[in-house]
Amino acid sequence: MGLLAATGGESGRELVALGAALLIAGLLARAGRRMGLPTIPLFMAAGILTGPHTPGPVLIRDPADLGLLTTLGLILLLFHLGLEFSLDDLLAGGRRLLAAGAAYLAINMSAGVALGASLGWGGREVLVIAGIVGISSSAIVTKLLVELRRLANPETGLLLGIVVVEDVFLAIYLALLQPVLGGAEGAGEVAASVAKGVAFLVLLVALARWGRGPVGRLLGTGDDELLTVCFIGVAVLIAGVAANVGVSDAIGAFLAGQVVAGTSVAHRVQRLVLPLRDLFAAMFFFAFGLSVDPGALASVALPVLAAVTVTAIGCVVAGVIAVRIQGLGPSSAANIGLTVVARGEFSLILATLAVAAGLDGRLGPFTAGYVLVLAIAGPLAASRSHLLARRLPARLFPTPALSGKVSP
Amino acid sequence: MSDQIREQELPGIGRRYSVQADGGEVSVVIHHSGRRDIYLADTTGHQPPAVATLSDDQARRLGAVLAGAYFQPTLTRQIEAVVGGLLIDWVTLRPDSPGAGRSIADLQVRRQTRMTIVAILRGDDVVVVPEPTEVLQAGDRVVIVGRPDDLDGFVRHVAG
Repeated sequence: MGLLAATGGESGRELVALGAALLIAGLLARAGRRMGLPTIPLFMAAGILTGPHTPGPVLIRDPADLGLLTTLGLILLLFHLGLEFSLDDLLAGGRRLLAAGAAYLAINMSAGVALGASLGWGGREVLVIAGIVGISSSAIVTKLLVELRRLANPETGLLLGIVVVEDVFLAIYLALLQPVLGGAEGAGEVAASVAKGVAFLVLLVALARWGRGPVGRLLGTGDDELLTVCFIGVAVLIAGVAANVGVSDAIGAFLAGQVVAGTSVAHRVQRLVLPLRDLFAAMFFFAFGLSVDPGALASVALPVLAAVTVTAIGCVVAGVIAVRIQGLGPSSAANIGLTVVARGEFSLILATLAVAAGLDGRLGPFTAGYVLVLAIAGPLAASRSHLLARRLPARLFPTPALSGKVSP
Repeated sequence: MSDQIREQELPGIGRRYSVQADGGEVSVVIHHSGRRDIYLADTTGHQPPAVATLSDDQARRLGAVLAGAYFQPTLTRQIEAVVGGLLIDWVTLRPDSPGAGRSIADLQVRRQTRMTIVAILRGDDVVVVPEPTEVLQAGDRVVIVGRPDDLDGFVRHVAG
């Protein structure tokens, strides 16, 4: 809240800090872009470098100073996801796509559960770790496909379908995670918490399904300025009410996006929300970096290494299964596996929710290290996927004739 | 969509339309942002695809060119001969050609296009060396001579 409440000289200092922080984050990400790196790890790196735990100038001492701004980042990331997400996309892909997505989730979530259990950080932590290592970064995946010029590849529809299945799963997973994060104890309390959450979700899903008329009229204005103010109001209000009734603000924001997606202004909101999401999400990633102590990173190096290994293997196996279902070849398997391995915003959101709920504090540095490694190594590996494709045994692909198109 | 164009939804990105062309596959990706990517993959599939990126505006203009809004080479061109740098050719006027219903003088053919109309084949009639007052009609086959470079200008000006 500091930034919003500050006045006078205090305000000047905080503005300088915030402006310098954003500028450093932006320039770092721009340098990274030239090497084909996504923005998320570089925004985090900027936070780590200018944060209180590393030598050199400290711009912002406490990530809590960015409080509301980073929460807005989280809300807008999920609002945008809810806005873009459509069940029709999922159903249009057909049974093969669902099977490929389900295989991906089964492999990576169970690998996450096994990893979480072997770390021994606690039962609630196991469930959160499963989500952190199980769900790809749809932001990095989509950007990667565009930049590697793979949109015309035979496996691209399948790959994006897997990401959509993951997004659907994320929404359900966030709802089910609620009693865990809410700290409910005993069967009765858990049931009450689940019931409250589910009731709220049902209400919002009903609003998304049948309320598009009234919501559309509420937002419907020809003026972009007024539309922006109103839809941000709706997103933040629903997220806030969700947080107040004990469902997370994240799922509230996602469903707010779903509600708006059904209205006549959806296309304009999709366009208008992007610059706002980019700005506040950058602050969210930056603030996450601020909270990371490199010393703490070192102490979770082994769990991070284990998680990265498990995820890399899980994703390649899931890629092979997916292309077998579709009858594609080894290069498609390598492309899918090494692209969906990227981790980013969702892992960081889950860790933020978990740490805020008072779960094991090691989840913070663990997720930071894990995301930093996979958000950087993932895209670099994806651009060299042909090296993996050559090493995949041919007998894994019973119908190589169908794999005609070899992608770059 | 017809059989020749395959359409696929790319969730979170946009839509892809692919068409099989000689020597490869052309795919057009229309992003939600309006950006268009044109992918050209060769049939062997061993080369990385060539990709062009266009803005919404550029894509619409290119689309108009591809659709023949600016120039349609559908005019029957049965004879085309270049004799010592001189081109002898004919073009057929359509009802919507800019020259249909206008006289040669009115069109200022020689001044505007540097081509000369030497004959008009109209049904079974042949008008040899037409007068400037001669009015061109839809369906006329107009025989012209001039420099090869000037042909396109003439086609634009008279045949459309």
